[in-house]
Amino acid sequence: MSYVAIKGGTEAIRASKQFFNDSLKAAEKIDDKALIKGMVFSCDRVMGEGALYTEKLSAEAIRRSGGDLFEAAFYVRAHRSTCQRIGQIEPVDTSKMCILRRISAAFKDIKGGQILGPSCDYVIRLFTSFKEEAWKQRQSDPNSKDMYLESALGPFRQKDKVIILENSEKEPFDVTRTFPLPPYPRSALMQVMSRGETGALLAFAYTTMRGYGDVHPTIGDLRLGTAPFSFEHPFTRKKAKVGEMRFTACETVGSFSRDKKDGKLRLSVGYGFCFGFNETKAISMSILDLAMHHQGHSVGGMDIASNPEIIIHHVDAVESMGFSNHFKLPHYVTFQADLHVFEAAKDNDDSAS
Amino acid sequence: MTTNKVTFGFFDEDAKKEIRRASLKAVALPGYIVPFASREMPIARGWGTGGLQVTLSLITEEDTLKVIDQGCDGSVNAVNIREFIVSVTGVKQTMATPEATVIQTRHRVPEYPLTSNQILVYQVPIPEVLTIVEPDTAKQKEMHASVDYSKLWVLLYEDTSQFGDSRISSRYPVRVNDHFVMDPSPIPKYDIPKLNNNPSLQLFGAGREKRIYAIPPYTKVEPLKFTDREFIIEDFGDKCCERCGATDVYLDEVHQEDGVHFFCSDTYHCDTNKNEVEDAA
Repeated sequence: MSYVAIKGGTEAIRASKQFFNDSLKAAEKIDDKALIKGMVFSCDRVMGEGALYTEKLSAEAIRRSGGDLFEAAFYVRAHRSTCQRIGQIEPVDTSKMCILRRISAAFKDIKGGQILGPSCDYVIRLFTSFKEEAWKQRQSDPNSKDMYLESALGPFRQKDKVIILENSEKEPFDVTRTFPLPPYPRSALMQVMSRGETGALLAFAYTTMRGYGDVHPTIGDLRLGTAPFSFEHPFTRKKAKVGEMRFTACETVGSFSRDKKDGKLRLSVGYGFCFGFNETKAISMSILDLAMHHQGHSVGGMDIASNPEIIIHHVDAVESMGFSNHFKLPHYVTFQADLHVFEAAKDNDDSAS
Repeated sequence: MTTNKVTFGFFDEDAKKEIRRASLKAVALPGYIVPFASREMPIARGWGTGGLQVTLSLITEEDTLKVIDQGCDGSVNAVNIREFIVSVTGVKQTMATPEATVIQTRHRVPEYPLTSNQILVYQVPIPEVLTIVEPDTAKQKEMHASVDYSKLWVLLYEDTSQFGDSRISSRYPVRVNDHFVMDPSPIPKYDIPKLNNNPSLQLFGAGREKRIYAIPPYTKVEPLKFTDREFIIEDFGDKCCERCGATDVYLDEVHQEDGVHFFCSDTYHCDTNKNEVEDAA
């Protein structure tokens, strides 16, 4: 079995695909519920990176790709290309979402309280059980009301202590319709990051907080929850609720700097948002938003994450994975050309000595 | 689930030995950051794994442990770390600062003065003080070796000329024993004077960055400051703790339904002060 048969590759490819599918056959036993409810963070990553809010197709994508989340997001993106864009939903105001979890690291207590919600933050990650006392699940109170909380940074905004970036965009950019040229609109950067790969966002955000950049973030408000989304009916023109989404939003406070608007000192705040529950992604995105839009102390131009040119082209999973894997494709024509150049240079070198 | 069988202090003895050796070296070179292996812990990196490793390497059966986060024993992360340490050592735990022999802390130095029988272990996110001006590790090392802190001085000058003072709020750079400049971990400026000539051993552990450093007991520690400029700590004006009435302490700003309130950040200090005030009345 050769890598690239001169001819007759069709059969080999078919066999290889069959082999792959057969080897993942056991995944068929995992039903949608187990994936959507039990592997919620995998599904949410796939929805986010796949840029389509679809729990069911995310589950299907994970099964088909044997749990490879890059591949799964790829499935969702490919499917997305077949969907007609029929319009825009009304903007979702995350300060009006129904809260499942909301914390702020900036204040000990905040209006509405620190709502831990479901979190693995304080889980001792050991396979052995570690004196974790079984906690009797409290009966959920049938009278408990949905929780709606304003951002913990609300009081700062009301006191005009936060830089509000100038927005000259009439409508948010949509990178799936046309790709922007620099200077990149903030909404385009936001969209690219919100569709971006969690690990890539994290790695770039980590460079700024570790030293290559000087973003010293404080999480002002991190929230998980749901919000309805509504759509203007194409015929009746009436606002109609069409569904509900789960998502994560994060506001991160940076340092203070001079507001370009009036030269006054104000706090800089970055924002992150993604489908489903993915705190790492929302936090990383908010830090990158901060880094790109608020110049801080200088580390002599060694920071990369504050450069929109770097972020906009390097955080997309489908693009970066696709390109790095394309090196598996045959390159014998170009490599042949490489060798010619190499041999010629070598001959030239040898004859000179 | 299988029953939990771990050695005293979670680590194997080789790991403890390695951490202790790094700690000893750190004590011998006040303010110098010593690399160590830094094992993966069952809590996440950045959540206090450096402090935790230092604590676990030096704690003995006779010790009494206190863990605080933001000055508070009841803070979720402090509770979690304390419960973990107790579960792998069985040591006595306390909230009373004077009763503790080992205190692990994040972001605060306790208000209650420490003694020579106590060890204060700091959780450190960024051990290298030069990071803010020079991210390259090799260059940082050279700068420390030649006691070259000019870039920090330039930063201090730039901030002072633009904003009247340094923009560094917590993690204010300090010079230790008239030699190395060191990152004191993200404690507020209010706590910086307490580092100086402190009778307790102060150990700093950074798990993610794999560094340990120390201020031995009774060591000179001073903030990096121009001679004609005063080191100004946080000032809460006429505000006092609404619970115990303390004025000479670091306060937490708390936002509640009925507005903004101020309370002691050090909860043990608040409790004792409240009792004393009530007893006197």
